[in-house]
Amino acid sequence: MKKTLLMLTTIATAVGLAILIPLPGSGQDAPPQGKGGGKGGGGGKGGGKGGGRAPAAPAGPMPKLPDGHPDMQGFWNPPAITDIEPAAPRGGGAPGGGAARGGGAARGGGAPGGAPAAGGPAAGPGGPGGPPAARGGGAPAGGGLGGFAGAGNRIIDPADGRIPYTPEARAKQQDLLNNHMADEPELHCYQSGVPHSESNQFGLQIIQTPGYFVEQSEFMHTVRIIPTDGRPHIDSKIRLFQGDPVGHWEGDTLVVDTTNQNTKTWFDTSGNFKTEALHITEKFIPTDANTIEYQATMHDPSIYTKDWTAHWNLPRNNTKTMSDGHPYEQMEFGCIEGNEDLGHYTEDKGGKKKQVLGKKQ
Amino acid sequence: MRIRFAARLKMIAPFALAAPLALMSVATGPAFGQAKSSFTAPKNAWEGHADLSGIWQAKTTAGDDVDKLVVDPPNKKIPYLPAAVAQMKANAKNKAGDSTAKCWMPGVPRLMYMNKPFQIFQTAKYIMVDSEYAHVYRQIFMDGSGHLDGVQFWDGDSRGKWEGDTLVVDVTGFNDQTWFDKAGNYHSDQLHVVERYTRTGPDTLTYEATITDPKVFSKPWTIRVPLMLNKAPNARIMEYECQELAPLSASEAQKK
Repeated sequence: MKKTLLMLTTIATAVGLAILIPLPGSGQDAPPQGKGGGKGGGGGKGGGKGGGRAPAAPAGPMPKLPDGHPDMQGFWNPPAITDIEPAAPRGGGAPGGGAARGGGAARGGGAPGGAPAAGGPAAGPGGPGGPPAARGGGAPAGGGLGGFAGAGNRIIDPADGRIPYTPEARAKQQDLLNNHMADEPELHCYQSGVPHSESNQFGLQIIQTPGYFVEQSEFMHTVRIIPTDGRPHIDSKIRLFQGDPVGHWEGDTLVVDTTNQNTKTWFDTSGNFKTEALHITEKFIPTDANTIEYQATMHDPSIYTKDWTAHWNLPRNNTKTMSDGHPYEQMEFGCIEGNEDLGHYTEDKGGKKKQVLGKKQ
Repeated sequence: MRIRFAARLKMIAPFALAAPLALMSVATGPAFGQAKSSFTAPKNAWEGHADLSGIWQAKTTAGDDVDKLVVDPPNKKIPYLPAAVAQMKANAKNKAGDSTAKCWMPGVPRLMYMNKPFQIFQTAKYIMVDSEYAHVYRQIFMDGSGHLDGVQFWDGDSRGKWEGDTLVVDVTGFNDQTWFDKAGNYHSDQLHVVERYTRTGPDTLTYEATITDPKVFSKPWTIRVPLMLNKAPNARIMEYECQELAPLSASEAQKK
């Protein structure tokens, strides 16, 4: 009885989501398309929100807040990055090869030249099939559907677009990617960590109040509360999924120093892991009223031979209303409340081989 | 169409990383009746209304049993319908049925008195409540928009307005999967909560919630609890992440 109620509730919620917002992506339940061949980007992680479909309006400069800093409040569509490096073919391809998928998968509009997402209609007919319909982008990966597009290198330094791992660290990353995807953090409803918080699925809302820059992701209801007062970091013994971000303004750019992350999150869903030594310098650069350029420079001598920098754009989601005429809003994303994604890796549900959970990373 | 759930978790081990918060003096809650105060609330610098921003926490164990917060009816008993008492008693014997025992969202108003700090961010269109508990956040829409029709939320659909210096939030659109506490006090999907947030002092705020649910209660009832402001320099909320250590996949759980 209880289980039945739970099912009904969740179905109702999912249907509501599918009807109300033009949002096809739902990687939570997405089949792991990437298991066999190329890293498929988790299938359903594609799909731009409605904002990706609108022709770009001429955008002036970012407005200003009462304190004179840029007003970056509003809704933004991060690119859903499933591999921060140009993806090499899975299963034997040596890293460093060509960009098999044209660079890390990107949600529509997120990348320079990114194709507009045609995801909206896929989310229309919900009905009893709500969750699958809402999954839209879960169709076979490989291109336009859901807004995946050639994105170019995410990593702008070094020039080859690849993470400058030590050989040992590269071997560990490859092992995670090829043999331990059942331990992929978001599969377990972990928060995304940084910088993946800026490139996970679905939308992002920014709120600014005196002394704070706050990001609330729809995905996994992840929050980043960034004080902008340049305060000292918390004790290094405290380890957090989202780390300890401390911001300050340099002109119109918000610079964020992020430390204290734990080692339970990845940079993406492709085994790019972290150590506790990771120190990230992030920049939120307001390019124009509809675009924030996001940059992150990673420093961790324990696994990298040099610092490396990735960047991508956060395009504004200009969707004003949902399909019922209601002002656009982020929905509530339950994850652990009904997670069945693990089964994609531990059972014969699209995966090629069954994996055992809990392998030590 | 099948949806399966990991209905039984082998092990639940919430791991908490909560920095010690500065101990603050516990203010006494106001007496019965509407929260009234001669205190003039400071104004929010950008938004202009009474300033509710900051890190707040209810220093109470009401998350174990919400009974202790009831201020109306006068006998301080939750006015269950006779037919609902049996379910409440059954819940009390089934602690694992509590949504927070499964690391699920706690619902509203429980999120506000479950003894985890939360930070309020206040703007003209949105008031955000970001909790330390399982990084749950609430969005209180202040743009005059109405409730969404036909959508259920774990933490409800919150629409707020100002009545003088008091923030009044109308919350509907709940599912029936959360309890008010660990003791099994529960509600149906007909739950309707009206919250009132009133600053009562430099470090305090009175939180009131009137709870209506015609499927479970014979009449509305009201809880009240003081919230304490964390004024420690550089205070921040931490992460109270709640995860099962050895999750079962959906079908594995079904076989148990």
